[in-house]
Amino acid sequence: MKSLDPRVNRLPQTGSANTTPKVPLDQFGTFQVFVQPKANKPFQHEGIVHAPNLEMAYVLAKEAFTRRFTCVSIYVAETRNIHVSVLTEGDDDAYDHVSEAAQEGKKASYEIFHMFKRGKQHQHVGTVEATNPNEALWLASKQLRTEKQVFNIWAIRTSDIRFTNQEDLDLWLTLPEKKFRDAAAYKGGEKLKTFLDASKK
Amino acid sequence: MNHEAIKELLYKMADDQLILGHRNSEWTGFGPLLEEDIAFSSMAQDKIGHSLALYTILNDLGEQDPDTTAFTRTADQFHNTVFTELPNAEYDFSLIRHFLYDTAEALRFEMLGQSSFEPLAQLATKVRGELRYHTMHANIWVKQLGTATKESISRLQQSLEFALPYALGIFEPSPYESDLINDGIFEGEKALEEKWKKKVESLITQTQLQLPKWETITPHYGGRIGNHTEHLQPLLDEMSEVFNIDPTAEW
Repeated sequence: MKSLDPRVNRLPQTGSANTTPKVPLDQFGTFQVFVQPKANKPFQHEGIVHAPNLEMAYVLAKEAFTRRFTCVSIYVAETRNIHVSVLTEGDDDAYDHVSEAAQEGKKASYEIFHMFKRGKQHQHVGTVEATNPNEALWLASKQLRTEKQVFNIWAIRTSDIRFTNQEDLDLWLTLPEKKFRDAAAYKGGEKLKTFLDASKK
Repeated sequence: MNHEAIKELLYKMADDQLILGHRNSEWTGFGPLLEEDIAFSSMAQDKIGHSLALYTILNDLGEQDPDTTAFTRTADQFHNTVFTELPNAEYDFSLIRHFLYDTAEALRFEMLGQSSFEPLAQLATKVRGELRYHTMHANIWVKQLGTATKESISRLQQSLEFALPYALGIFEPSPYESDLINDGIFEGEKALEEKWKKKVESLITQTQLQLPKWETITPHYGGRIGNHTEHLQPLLDEMSEVFNIDPTAEW
């Protein structure tokens, strides 16, 4: 196989009788990305990136999820490090399914996220000090539960999160100026109207 | 303040950004993974933005408007270093170029933060966040692939050795070096080159890549005075294709 596109030439040969083991790293794991849209707003879950490790996930998440709109900071965590409660619907509150959990081992801090509406992003609501994820959910039900119904709860050990360093906060410095990345900023409709009005005269 | 000296500095910086921005944008839709495709395209867009800011300063100094400057010159009128116009080939080369070039660019703007030429000092402050991301992105990729597998290491090594003579061409001395230094506009290509070498060394030593001895590399000069490879004119033709359909159109 010879192509001008080097990627085509790297494709495996077809029709071979021999089996070959699947190479490691041909598929990346996933990482969850959280974005803080404004300084006084909580972090919210924004989406997923594929990456070989936490550092690369952070770097790729920055452009994948903060190219447009406003952002002051992001953080990422590997998907497997997110501890998820039961998902509820109707009048059923996820916290009603959280049962008391025993303390085992050393305390660590956990970040707690609530899903306030089905289909909406999880929002950061606070931090608890627990010895394991189940205890973190239990403590969250005591400390962070409010009147507002919650459909799903996430707990992530703080030390499993790759936060934005203080000196990297200027990564988003010029973002508000990048209106050209937003289709609405081109005001296509307005321009068309002006053009049509002018051609009527 | 010597305006000819400032213009020479602005032109080479702006042309570098425009040409490399365009080259890197050729990866849009072809990146090795979706997330990287987006990131690399965004950074290419940033570079075009930097070139616009620099051409705007040139315009204020009496040069043509940015679009005319960007789209109507021929290859021999461009001052970009040859390094920026080389075709992309494979991603390993584009990554190495991104690392070597952006390291220099970030350092240049850092130095220009103290420039006595106010518009450049202001621009340097404004773009520092973007450049921080560009170098962070480049460093993490080179560290990753420079330590990952036998193939990734050998491919990066090959690209590094191919790229270095061209990379040193970034620092082609200008006829105005002493004017720029004496007027406090810019510390000069030599000073930049020394800082750049240190940065490159410190990153490469964190990988399994081997950096050849600097004195064994002959810099590829000429781009700054309009001596380009056969690759530049086709790039310019493609870049200005839409502009040239109707140069007076309002967008």
